[in-house]
Amino acid sequence: MTSEEIVEKIKASLSDAIQDTDLPQGDAVIFVAPESFHAVAEFLKNDPDLKFDYLSDVRGVDYLLEEREPRFESVYQLYSIDHQHSIRVRVGIDEDNPSVSTVSDLWKGALYPEQELFDMFGINVEGHPTMERLIMPKDWEGFPLRKDYPLTTETVAFSHNRDFKSELVQSKPKTR
Amino acid sequence: MGLIDQAVDAFEAEVNNLKLNVKDAVEAMDYEYSGSLYDTVLTTKLGKVVGWAQKNALWPATFGLACCAIEMMAMANSRWDAARFGAEVFRASPRQADLMIVSGRVSQKMAPILKQIYDQMPEPKWVISMGACASCGGVFNNYSIVQGVDRVVPVDVYVPGCPPGPEALLYGVIKLQEKIMMEAGTDKAKKRVA
Amino acid sequence: MSVTEQGLLQRDKDTMTLNMGPQHPSTHGVFRVILEMDGEVVKTAEPEIGYLHTGIEKTSENKRYVHVIPMTDRLDYLNPPGNNLAFCLSTEKLLGVEIPDRGNALRVIMCELSRIASHLVWLGTHALDIGAMTVFLYCWREREMILDLNEEISGVRMMTSYIRIGGVAKDATRPWLDGIRDFIEYLPAKVDEYERLLTNNPIWIDRTQGVGAFTREEAINWSFSGPALRASGVNWDIRKSQPYSGYEKYDFDVPIQTNGDIYDRYRVRVEEMRQSRSIIKQALESLPDGPYKAEDNKVSLPPRETLHTSMEALIHHFKLVSEGISVPKGETYVPIEGARGEVGFYIVSDGTNVPARVKLRAPSFMAIPGMCKMMEGCYIADVVGIIGSIDIVMGEVDR
Repeated sequence: MTSEEIVEKIKASLSDAIQDTDLPQGDAVIFVAPESFHAVAEFLKNDPDLKFDYLSDVRGVDYLLEEREPRFESVYQLYSIDHQHSIRVRVGIDEDNPSVSTVSDLWKGALYPEQELFDMFGINVEGHPTMERLIMPKDWEGFPLRKDYPLTTETVAFSHNRDFKSELVQSKPKTR
Repeated sequence: MGLIDQAVDAFEAEVNNLKLNVKDAVEAMDYEYSGSLYDTVLTTKLGKVVGWAQKNALWPATFGLACCAIEMMAMANSRWDAARFGAEVFRASPRQADLMIVSGRVSQKMAPILKQIYDQMPEPKWVISMGACASCGGVFNNYSIVQGVDRVVPVDVYVPGCPPGPEALLYGVIKLQEKIMMEAGTDKAKKRVA
Repeated sequence: MSVTEQGLLQRDKDTMTLNMGPQHPSTHGVFRVILEMDGEVVKTAEPEIGYLHTGIEKTSENKRYVHVIPMTDRLDYLNPPGNNLAFCLSTEKLLGVEIPDRGNALRVIMCELSRIASHLVWLGTHALDIGAMTVFLYCWREREMILDLNEEISGVRMMTSYIRIGGVAKDATRPWLDGIRDFIEYLPAKVDEYERLLTNNPIWIDRTQGVGAFTREEAINWSFSGPALRASGVNWDIRKSQPYSGYEKYDFDVPIQTNGDIYDRYRVRVEEMRQSRSIIKQALESLPDGPYKAEDNKVSLPPRETLHTSMEALIHHFKLVSEGISVPKGETYVPIEGARGEVGFYIVSDGTNVPARVKLRAPSFMAIPGMCKMMEGCYIADVVGIIGSIDIVMGEVDR
């Protein structure tokens, strides 16, 4: 099925659950609210014409700098191995108490990326077996990929600002 | 009253400094004259022999972290044979190694483990910081990379590059061998073992 | 009273916890697995990642598009041109730029050479883990030839950054093309040598056949990709199903096996090396003339000769080097078939010259939970074989 046919079929079957659709550069994209997302995912997996049985990726995006509501988005890329077509599902998530329901009961491959959503953005994934830090250390505070988390660069020492680094140099372990 | 307090504080500081200086001097004398074998005239000659043996049989601990590890493996392979320089036996256990080649970027999560592995190595031990990320943080100046592994362990030789070619790392090993020979038989070598 | 009666040997569980720590000699990077074992059999394997987290995605949000390309080199550091290509394809899709045929052919040659190099590293380290040390030394000998070719064309052995937005960095040179021709004449005999050492070797077969098997449905559900998916019987290769960079012009087979165990993954990758060599041969023979990068000067640098004579060229050069490319607003994802599986960059652009979000779809990251599920019920010696056969690279797992 082409991208237009996929989008038309989904709009016809689940018209109230889909907020919007788009066809950027030939890809099929649908916009879903978090409340109806799990039902849409089940439909996408089980419908015989669509049959999206392969989850490629789950990504989080923070739209704070573009100042749009909702602030976060989690984007799901799905393929169908038999029909050889693909779709992108964008779920907008609010800033207060961000949460979305898990799809790891449908696609086991979602376990790690959804845990990363929590680790990097602070989005709580309901129904996920382990909502813990995955990539950052266990006692890390803050969610690094949010736009209000600083990159934390360090001033590099050159000959003109050598004094700036003098305490650092003194605190380094001595070579024996 | 404040002036007298200041004078007393300055006097106390001077006395403490004097005590520390005397302590340092006594320690330095201890190094010079301690140990039975090191007392003799043969000190430097024997030290040189020990240094020669150490430099020709440096056993690296496998500490490949990222891309530099691939070039370290290339150094150990047939084209740039590290076995000619004695550094062929890559020991998996740090207890059996005396050289740690930190090859790759050290993240905040990995830094305590780096220190733990370094602590497990027996004396004398040397560290080569391979690559730009291990030497100074490299291209990654952000929240998650330690800006230079010398904030965690003392480093002897820094090898720049991203990644340094195997010939560069081999040159670093040769420079470390020269450093060992230069320090052999002197106080610095004794301080490593003490 | 015996020691047990005294209560000194309190056992609250029947299994032994063994930590396969982040530093271990199987050189697949800093990966930690906590194994719960009942004697020699692994009951559960709990992975822990994050020891190589570099914050590349966040750093990319502060760098211009062309500056992100060298950072992508360091993600999957065994297949740097693949990462470059994935990033450039996503950016070019947003820009709407067409790549000329010569540029596409050079990209294909670079990516397939890198696929062979990556498979050589995999074969060498995987065989070394299982015990065959000769293969390790042989594979690196061939890899050195590919790295010399890299150095010839880009100046760098590993992190070439040769593939740029709009095409490639510079045109193919005579020595490079001759070097590739010599290499592809030399390679088939060497791949046969590796097969002679391993494929019918009874020790190899005993250690790899039937170990770590994954069925077709499991492989699809756990989001495997690349050789691990194809070894389980799924005919899914992105070069065939969603072709990019002119792959539809080349005639090559996609090796599929059925059992999904370590031995099948080994067979798939060795056959892929042969198919990559055939693709390079076809690309070399049919290498078209013409420009090697897009002529649009808003995207790629103008040729240096024109800087002396043309004012627009000078201005374009200045804008591209100082400000960079401005990508229209939008979001996109273009997958490619990397050496480990499906690689792609999800790029969100807000219209400026700095990306708003860069997310790598890493095949090793998606394979880790499935890999640990595979370890359950295996002996401890098989754990090393399984990790080696999935071919994880921690640079792309932790990003």
